[in-house]
Amino acid sequence: MRIATDIGGTFTDLVCIDEENCRMVAEKSHTTPPNFEQGVLDVIKKSGLSPESIDTFIHGTTTIINALTERKGGKTGLITTKGFRDVLEIARCNRPDLFNLVFSKPEPFIPRYLRQEVAERMNYKGEVIQPLNEEDVKSAVKYFKEQEVESIGICYINSYANDQHEQKTAEIIRSLWPEVFITTSSTVTREWREYERTSTVALNSYVMPTASSYLNNLSKKLESIGFKGKSYIMQSNGGTTTFDQAKEAPINMVESGPVAGVYGSAILGQIIGESNLIAFDVGGTTAKCSLIDNGEVKVTTEYRIGRTDNYAGYPIMAPVVDIVEIGNGGGSIAWIDEAGSLRVGPQSAGAVPGPVAYGIGGTEPTTTDACLLTGRLSPGNFDNPVDMEAVKSAIVKKIGEPLGLNADDAAMGIIRVAESNMYNALKLVSVRRGYDPREFTLVAFGGGGPMHCASLARELNIKKMVIPVAASVFAAWGMLMTDLRHDYIRTHISPLAETPVEQINDIWKEMQEQAEKQFIDDGITASQMVCQYYVDMRYLGQEHTVKVPIPAVPLKEEDKDIIKERFHEAHEQAYTFRLPNAPAEIVNYHLVGNGGLTPPKLQEIAPQTGDVEEARISTRPVCFNEVGWLDTPVYDRLKLGAGAQFSGPVVIEEKTSSTVVYPGQNVCVDKYGNLIITEEGE
Amino acid sequence: MTKNIDSVTLDIVKDSLIAIGNEVFYSFAQTSMSPIIYETLDYACGIADSEGHLLTQGNGACGFIGLISPMIQAVIEKFGKENIREGDVYIINDPYMGGGSHLSDIGMVMPVFYNGEIIAFLGNKAHWSDVGGMAAGSFTTDSTEVFQEGLRFPAVKLVDGGEISQTLVDMIKSNVRFPEAAEGDMWGQIASLRTGNKRIIDLCEKYGEVVVRESMTRLLDQGEIIARKRLSEFPKGSWEMEEYMDDDGHGNPVLIKVKVTITDDEFIVDYTGSSPQVFSPINTGYTSLCAGAKIVFMSIVDPDLVINDGVFRPLRVIAEPGSVLQCQSPAPTSCYFESMLYATDVLWKALAPVFPKYLGAGHMLSVCSVVLSGTHQDTGAPFLIVEPTGGGWGASSEKDGEVGQFCVGDGETYNVPVEMAETRYGIMVDEYSLHTDGAGAGMFRGGSGCVRKYRAMSDGQLFTASFGRNKYPAWGTNGGADGSYNYFEIIRADGTVEGPMAITARTVLNKNDVVNMITATGGGYGDPYQRDVKRVAEDVRNGYITLEQAKKDYGVDVDPVTFQAVRREEN
Repeated sequence: MRIATDIGGTFTDLVCIDEENCRMVAEKSHTTPPNFEQGVLDVIKKSGLSPESIDTFIHGTTTIINALTERKGGKTGLITTKGFRDVLEIARCNRPDLFNLVFSKPEPFIPRYLRQEVAERMNYKGEVIQPLNEEDVKSAVKYFKEQEVESIGICYINSYANDQHEQKTAEIIRSLWPEVFITTSSTVTREWREYERTSTVALNSYVMPTASSYLNNLSKKLESIGFKGKSYIMQSNGGTTTFDQAKEAPINMVESGPVAGVYGSAILGQIIGESNLIAFDVGGTTAKCSLIDNGEVKVTTEYRIGRTDNYAGYPIMAPVVDIVEIGNGGGSIAWIDEAGSLRVGPQSAGAVPGPVAYGIGGTEPTTTDACLLTGRLSPGNFDNPVDMEAVKSAIVKKIGEPLGLNADDAAMGIIRVAESNMYNALKLVSVRRGYDPREFTLVAFGGGGPMHCASLARELNIKKMVIPVAASVFAAWGMLMTDLRHDYIRTHISPLAETPVEQINDIWKEMQEQAEKQFIDDGITASQMVCQYYVDMRYLGQEHTVKVPIPAVPLKEEDKDIIKERFHEAHEQAYTFRLPNAPAEIVNYHLVGNGGLTPPKLQEIAPQTGDVEEARISTRPVCFNEVGWLDTPVYDRLKLGAGAQFSGPVVIEEKTSSTVVYPGQNVCVDKYGNLIITEEGE
Repeated sequence: MTKNIDSVTLDIVKDSLIAIGNEVFYSFAQTSMSPIIYETLDYACGIADSEGHLLTQGNGACGFIGLISPMIQAVIEKFGKENIREGDVYIINDPYMGGGSHLSDIGMVMPVFYNGEIIAFLGNKAHWSDVGGMAAGSFTTDSTEVFQEGLRFPAVKLVDGGEISQTLVDMIKSNVRFPEAAEGDMWGQIASLRTGNKRIIDLCEKYGEVVVRESMTRLLDQGEIIARKRLSEFPKGSWEMEEYMDDDGHGNPVLIKVKVTITDDEFIVDYTGSSPQVFSPINTGYTSLCAGAKIVFMSIVDPDLVINDGVFRPLRVIAEPGSVLQCQSPAPTSCYFESMLYATDVLWKALAPVFPKYLGAGHMLSVCSVVLSGTHQDTGAPFLIVEPTGGGWGASSEKDGEVGQFCVGDGETYNVPVEMAETRYGIMVDEYSLHTDGAGAGMFRGGSGCVRKYRAMSDGQLFTASFGRNKYPAWGTNGGADGSYNYFEIIRADGTVEGPMAITARTVLNKNDVVNMITATGGGYGDPYQRDVKRVAEDVRNGYITLEQAKKDYGVDVDPVTFQAVRREEN
């Protein structure tokens, strides 16, 4: 049996498909900082699954991102090429907070006195200009020992082109100090841009001790309850890796939770026969969206931890699923700005004090409160008795009175502004990147996704929406469906037309060998491994690249024409034009390796037999945008069978989430229990 | 009349306008062929209402703030709204007209029509790698007239009702050094305007023209409301400051003088009394001067405000025509940012004691612009570097100054990575580090400048640079010490050193000659003897200051091994 556990800010989720008993198990339990592994044991225990029966354990965790945001990693030293130890501190000289003349730039994770330089130099072609001075390395090690660092990162200039000196340096350190954690830049990325690469190394080194002790503890604890299967970690690239490899490159886990939902959407798309999807996840504090084009989850290496409109954040060059995130979730606070405009978020009431509806001290109206007042949620959706008067009075006092609106209009105003923010984020991943949302299916999940999707889909002219089963633990479901995945990216710049096909094939061969070696370490044979090949290309003179899938390797001379045509298409898609006569250039080679895990078979639900009305819990007034109040039937999702069909307006409730369907929209329950919502007449 | 439009709808449309502004901004960077645009983001895009009032502006560089709407207004004024047709695009870079900076910054303006009427204008302005003139990269330090600096477009029609003027395109391409890049950037600018055009029309279709127009008014009014609210809270009075900026390039001093007056409803920045325009390209036009004043104004009003002309309604900037701060034809302007930034700095310095929370000590000030051209040692292909250099910022009342940042006129601007520079350009970078001279002592310390060493890898490269703030250091405030200066030196292959110097034009570099560029450390804030002893010890441990500086400037004895520190009793 395969289970997935996902540690989030508030809850640790578990999802398991029990093929023997034909059922899906979903469970939640509280997250238990700082001993996160306890939450995992708790949720397993709560689920009633026997640890002995688990053969595959897949895990997503916020441990790494927490260690970074709370600065709780290990004491770390950095070794750089002579003359470049300050690259990490200078960063890119940019100032996103344009008009704040007392801004603060991100403070490096490794202070200057722990950044040591050694004499060595490669040129841009990877030729040795100055050999590695081994004595410099030895004295750096001696110094780091005195300073009692736990982890050492190494990043040399132009090592993306030749990592020989980095490898040699690591070897020397290992021989002198076997216990210390070591990261070379080439093990985490082989892309150019020294600041971004150095930052990736610094962050990886910094979290290595944390990752190692966390994963070791978790393994021990799992063993202690009788688990004997294989364990995998969810990575930010949408695939998994083994615990051992995760300890070497823990930075790859940094966004493991959020990406699983996106990956899950792609898998769900395969199952229901849709390949163009937009994944839309609304949680307590944020909304996230990501576009899946023709079944492919988009991966980027331009991710920055903590980046905002006003703050540069810390780059990591590890492949991360391309997600747009905005500060708008269920707990987002509604407020009136100085100029008298209604705003929602980014500040969130969080879990404590939470929305007014939670009754534990929240006084600021939130999106959740507005949903309650407009009938999208009912007091019955909350664990606590809800004081509706308190909710109403907060909305009236804080929003209604200043704007001259009654309670209903104020609550609808909050929802409209929140949805407008989400709408702009959805446009960001679609329209702005050259995609027409009408050609996409919206997959909505997380606590709030199902509540907002119907109105957003209508605004965007999206014709079809899917609310997956277990929408509120969908990220864990996504993890359950993932495969082992490793990304290998190398910068080799050359014009496509002038690069001999043999040279291209040699690069692929080298990368394939690296992949095979890593997969063998994972326990996967070369024949099980499935590779996909991409090149990042651009027109000569441009900077930004587009990712182009390429035919099977080894390539033949005539494949270059196919690649060129695909590049033109991808460029036109992304940037609206092509330059048919301009020479095209390859910048990066990107190999994606997937390995042999078979996803569990989905369980079908029982067919609908009687009238859908039997699922009706109640009827209540719900306020719809542009329509107003309507008496709306409320259905219990668990009581709906496969094939059930009905039309909006309707609210479908489940334990931790609630789906709102607009008038003029039809709902159909598919054989797995997913709600498929379409616009009438489509 | 239409029914009353609810404020939530207006806000939603207003946010959509801002989102369109952002989209237009980012779409341009991604297609550009010029590193100065895609890497340095040396451009801006804006949306204005039908009268040319700026509604929202996406900026890469601060210095472009408020240059878009005067440019649009210049087009309206010259052609008259009745003669502007759907699909037109106008090109403008005249330094003395609305929105002018230097010739390298090419502006484009497009009207947006809905139901046969102009509902908005779109404008953008981008630094082209080359616009012709006496020097590669067009911007140089030794021009004496604008005619040496490249092509000058006094607002002319580039696209006529959707038809590109091939005549003009041919003229452009035969007058610039990199015609492909110029044409690519030209189309990139046009494409981003057209994207914005489409999005605004979509918005009108969705919400109706009336709602969109109302939202535009609301956007401007709200900007003004906040600015006036802040103004009402400001202390009232007049503050004066004058400083000499380095010199005019021929050894003569150049005075920058400001009197800033804050009243109940106006914020007046008066530069009367500043030096007359000079025969070197450090003159600035009026709108760029205003841009500098707008930066300081924004920083104390609210740095997070959406930039629009409503915000700036209370601001008035005065300069004398013919002065270095409001120069007239044919004054050269290719390094206009030097006087513009000095004017900004003098205003900043005048107000720093008044607004200590928002304005810290002086920073490295200059763009420290570098233009290097030549051929690549391996490919033989010509290359051109046009880039700013990072330096130190001043400390402020709550924190140390930042290290290695571009000057205030830049912003969301990126340095060129060493690995990229070595691949593309015919250079190797010998060093890129912090300039830890320990200047800028204070309770809070000035941030360190940078050291960047470029080694020429082929013969016959041409190096041009303008490193302002080379005579007077970054100023300290409230008892903090001054920082240092910007300069560079050239270390020839045989070991001879030329310099230190700060301004040069087309100096020849041959293989293995090295240019060593050093930028200023920012000024300090507060009495150094008030600096926390532990922080002084950390500064020594990190090498930002020396043991001697700890002792001399901060009165702290630091043990070089244990970094235990004690402050000597004050004498």
